[in-house]
Amino acid sequence: MESKPDDYHISFFRPTTDSARRNRNMVVQLILVWAIAIFGFQILLKILEKPTPEEAWIIYDSVRDDIESGSTDPLVLKQASRSALSILGKVSIDPVHRDALDNLISWSAYNIADSAQKKTLVEKLQKFERLKTAEVDLRSFNYKSSKDDMLPLLQEIYGLAPHDVRSRIASVHINSGLMQNMSRKNISIVHEAMDLYLVHNRSVLTDIKFLGFPFHYFYTAVFLLILFVGLCWVYCVRTDMFNKKYEIAD
Amino acid sequence: MKKLSLLLFIALLLSPVCSASVAATHLEGSFKLGPAIILIIILVLFVLVGILFRAKDTTDFYAAGRGISRVGSGMAIASNWMSAASFLGMAALMYGSGYHGLAYVVGWTGGYVLLLILMAGQIRRYGKYTAADFIGDRYYSQGLRAVGAIIAIFISIAYCVGQFGGIGLMFKWVMGINYSAAVIIGGTVVLTYTLISGMLGVTKNMQIQYIIIIISFIIPLFILTAKFDYFWLLPQIGYGSVVSDVIAGLPVNETKELINSLGHDYAVVPSPEFAMPWDPPTGKTFFQWIAIAFSLMIGTAGLPHVIQRFYVVPKARDARWSVVWGLFFICILYWSAPAYAAFGKVLSAHPEVGTLAKDAIVVYTAQLGNVHPLIVGFLAAGGVSAAFSTVSGLLVAGSSAFAHDLYVRVINPEASPRKQLLYARLGTVLMAIIVTLIALQNFALIGQLVAVAFSLAGCTIFPLFLLGIWWSGSNKQGAIAGLITGGLVSLIAITYFIAGKSGVELPAHSFISYWLEAWYFAWIGAPLAILANIIVSKLSGPTPLEIRKFLIEQVHS
Repeated sequence: MESKPDDYHISFFRPTTDSARRNRNMVVQLILVWAIAIFGFQILLKILEKPTPEEAWIIYDSVRDDIESGSTDPLVLKQASRSALSILGKVSIDPVHRDALDNLISWSAYNIADSAQKKTLVEKLQKFERLKTAEVDLRSFNYKSSKDDMLPLLQEIYGLAPHDVRSRIASVHINSGLMQNMSRKNISIVHEAMDLYLVHNRSVLTDIKFLGFPFHYFYTAVFLLILFVGLCWVYCVRTDMFNKKYEIAD
Repeated sequence: MKKLSLLLFIALLLSPVCSASVAATHLEGSFKLGPAIILIIILVLFVLVGILFRAKDTTDFYAAGRGISRVGSGMAIASNWMSAASFLGMAALMYGSGYHGLAYVVGWTGGYVLLLILMAGQIRRYGKYTAADFIGDRYYSQGLRAVGAIIAIFISIAYCVGQFGGIGLMFKWVMGINYSAAVIIGGTVVLTYTLISGMLGVTKNMQIQYIIIIISFIIPLFILTAKFDYFWLLPQIGYGSVVSDVIAGLPVNETKELINSLGHDYAVVPSPEFAMPWDPPTGKTFFQWIAIAFSLMIGTAGLPHVIQRFYVVPKARDARWSVVWGLFFICILYWSAPAYAAFGKVLSAHPEVGTLAKDAIVVYTAQLGNVHPLIVGFLAAGGVSAAFSTVSGLLVAGSSAFAHDLYVRVINPEASPRKQLLYARLGTVLMAIIVTLIALQNFALIGQLVAVAFSLAGCTIFPLFLLGIWWSGSNKQGAIAGLITGGLVSLIAITYFIAGKSGVELPAHSFISYWLEAWYFAWIGAPLAILANIIVSKLSGPTPLEIRKFLIEQVHS
């Protein structure tokens, strides 16, 4: 160092030697790249985001007023039920929301079905519910066949295609005890659930695909980590070069 | 490694016998013989390695004789780092909170850039054994040394609690025993081999543990991506299409039977909440994402057991390069973890799967994906291994703080090396008992519990190291002011957290809980501590000449 013995002083922002100055500049450059890459991108994501509804929300919104007024029009109930099933298929749902949505799909099925369908549905459903309380093994033949037995009827009632996963979800959530009434309170909870689960923060960064990923996900989960290793590598190589140039011993 | 390969080979030979007993019709339940055998083999291997490379004196115990190579030290850094929080907790956070979980991935890796650029080489040049040693010497205060040691012990305990939780979950899954018994058994085993080996054995163990952890974590991903028709040659990229499928929804495949181990279709309704940023159903916000990433990053640069790894390499250059290797090895796991969350989301989408313990989602995903039970067992053993490698490092760091920094440097400087080692071991036992008792309470997710330790380190130790290395004007009074400020923020955050868990409502509870949540209070605590340190240092006298001289001649020359 070039300092006098009584003037020993180290400050990152006020380096006193050429090597310290170069080191400071390198550290500042790397930290700027690091900070902008991490926080800059997230801020950009925040700035660009727009609340974007799923298709299920748009469909529900078109019948929201009818549901609010207690309509039993089969077309309205089919659309509302399909949207409800789109939420019930999600992994994490609040139990209060789940119960209200169960109520909606059960009540709707009962009101959509004609009298013959109603009778068959209730019979099959009650048989399955008896098995559900008794059967432990979900892979047993009885349990599976009883559940699968309801699928064509549920697909017909809700207007779902055979490959639509929502009919499988319906067979587990529909409840014979919830078919007769749909309370005002549950209608409000369903409205709330639709707005909560079916509207998402999206932007051009989330909609572009890169290597199969949504771009923002790839950037954060994959690219940033590559960048971190790269920054560390650059620092080590440049420090080795500085140390050699300025003959700094390790 | 030859020994390990042989043992694994024998275990695989037993597979036809074992697999029948573990046919996965239920995810939890009975004793699983195959996975148990693999787990026992791995644990015995760790103890044997510990015995073979056991500590002979205090230098060995604390710093492994400073004879570990860069790549070896990088592996040890990675193994030491890749805890149950990385192996189990990260996927759990992404499974439960979607994009929010990526804040943990970024936080736990980005911190290494700070650590390397700002500290690693300088810490090695300073030439101390422990974080408290550095604090005591740099701030010329026995009192600060003692406080540093106590903080290091607190951090180690907070960090260990999450690990013991992970050990408990995996032992519970493998052995079919209850969580409490699993925590006690797992804790006893990790304590035993840390006591036998010290850090030399631990370092050798860590290199072996890294290989086990990474192989066990990646093999099921190759299988899952191949089985469900994704790009399997590089699952860390191949799972991108799984994420897109979760967002767009996946219909039932009518041409090919793709099902999970419970017989449900590999299908899911559109679930953009899994990947969209700070999505409303997750209940997480933009601020929380930023605060968590920032807190974890500065916490990384202040964790005693991470800092301590730089003392075991021969030179400062080795310390720097070991970070590069360490981070690369860590990233291999971090690139892979989100894949488990994505597959887990589809495989557990059917309502009949029920509510799964999020912290075990890695194992459940492999199980639901019909991966061979022995490979799932190996995965669970990898999870235990990850927790073990970190716990052993933490116990050494904590016991070093207890025996070296508190007992020898403050209480009894004349203590013989034999007595010092005895106290180190006593400290290890005490810590293990305390950690077990807290882990039995099962307070929160593993990743969140570990994040508490990061925020604590970020508020207390990080400012002392940062200013201690880069500004000679930072003096004892400044350090005390910074510690009081950081400590106060930590105390408030942790008090509100514990009160919340106990059902007690404190004044402004929701406000404090949001802005100073236990997982990220360092976002404000660390800057305030740095500010307090600078202001008080400026207002008080200069740092003694010998400290400034040492900084210039030893640390920055």
